[in-house]
Amino acid sequence: MESAIDIQDLSVIYKTRNSELAALQNLTMRVSKGQVFGFLGPNGAGKTTAMHVLLGFIQASAGKAFIFGADVQHSIARQRIGYLAEHPNTYRFLTGKELLRTAGQLFRIPRSTLEERIEQLLDQLDLNHAATRRVGTYSRGMLQRICIAEALINDPDLVILDEPTSGLDPIGRGQIRNIITDLRSRGKTVFFSSHELSEVELVCDALAILHKGRLVAQGATTDLIPKGEPLERFFMRTITAAEDPFPLPSQCGGGA
Amino acid sequence: MRRIRTVANIVWLEMLRRKDLYVLLILLVALLFTLLSLNIFGLGSVVGFVKDAGLIAAWLFSWILAVSVASRQLPQEESRGTILPLLAKPIRRGELIVGKWLGTWSVVSVAVLCFYLLTAIMVWSHGGRFELLALTQAIMLHFAVLGIVSALAIALSVRFHQDATATLTYVLTATMYLIVPRIPEIILPAQGWRQTALYILYGTLPHFELFDMRRRVVHQYGPMPWGFFGVTLLYGATLISILLIIAWMGFRRKHFSRSNQD
Repeated sequence: MESAIDIQDLSVIYKTRNSELAALQNLTMRVSKGQVFGFLGPNGAGKTTAMHVLLGFIQASAGKAFIFGADVQHSIARQRIGYLAEHPNTYRFLTGKELLRTAGQLFRIPRSTLEERIEQLLDQLDLNHAATRRVGTYSRGMLQRICIAEALINDPDLVILDEPTSGLDPIGRGQIRNIITDLRSRGKTVFFSSHELSEVELVCDALAILHKGRLVAQGATTDLIPKGEPLERFFMRTITAAEDPFPLPSQCGGGA
Repeated sequence: MRRIRTVANIVWLEMLRRKDLYVLLILLVALLFTLLSLNIFGLGSVVGFVKDAGLIAAWLFSWILAVSVASRQLPQEESRGTILPLLAKPIRRGELIVGKWLGTWSVVSVAVLCFYLLTAIMVWSHGGRFELLALTQAIMLHFAVLGIVSALAIALSVRFHQDATATLTYVLTATMYLIVPRIPEIILPAQGWRQTALYILYGTLPHFELFDMRRRVVHQYGPMPWGFFGVTLLYGATLISILLIIAWMGFRRKHFSRSNQD
């Protein structure tokens, strides 16, 4: 199967005057086309750093990353991507419609197609009533939804979502889940990070767990997680094992 | 080009929805009215005085506007976190720099046209007139100098925060405008390596005074020779290109992450 994301031996090291911090260490992973891929890890694990490398915001110290075969350093690699940042920041002085039009123009979408797409997204995300209002007047949930609409304006083949449900109420979380399911049904690839493990469990085909910049687990959810075990427990077990790969017998919990 | 225009359009929409431009326009009108109604030194009715006051105000206000708008473009994108969704789109960093500059320059240029128009109305109301060719040259050279100031602020903003960029741009441009034309006066008495250094400084620093045609317009000396006018415009375009290339070189490998945000 063609890979949507291909990361090869990627390292990101932040250098200061006195020290070095390895945000990512030799990360190698592959996300297949059409998968909903959960990218998990505790705070500071390097998830956002990896996403930022994929989007070209930062450059890797070593290794390579490709999106649909194109090196992430080239702007063309971002033509088929939709991205939702961790914090839904956008131009608050623009109206919802203007924001989407601006985003579409950056993708060079023809005008007639763009207007159709804007109407469709506003409708899908229940923002029609606020289309001509300035984004600065939107509620937190509406802001998140307009940012998702912005991320989907180019009908992307790969959608990268950085903690899309953070700060949302249960209705908002449900809407995001529906969007992800809808994208999967249309053959799109979704790569997202989240701390809401119950949400991840519901929608993911595959996942990877990152800890302190290292990949500690990766695979299809059905292969990776033992049947009947909740994702949260699997996650905690994986992180604990990664913290201390050789625990004393008394720490194992299973010993008599 | 479409992406550059889109970025420039964002600058336009922001400016139209902020108050800066309108405040400056109102201030200009208020200043001119006050100067004329107070009749300082009994010159209120002298057309030359009206022209001079109007053009000084146009230069001053457009300088303030250019620096304040240009210096916030890139730092503001970082501080409000909009740089991430923007760069996640297939836009080259060079296109972003040029788009920001184009937006700033075009906004400020239109504002300058309004300033000149207001001054022309004032002059006309006092029974005076402008020589059209000289005025056209003056406006075009004014556009060029605003392009240089905007490009300088954008180049500095790649490395500095908004306030530091604005302060540095004000200091640098004011120094260049006031000091550079005076360098020849200190070249002559200087000797040896000091004289050489001063010559190099005089040759390399931007000459803003070349773009200032206020005296010609006020005293009706007529338009400057077209050859000299063309070379001055070319000099301005070269300076703008150099500054934008410097900005791009600093910006193209810049890292962006959450830590950049306020």
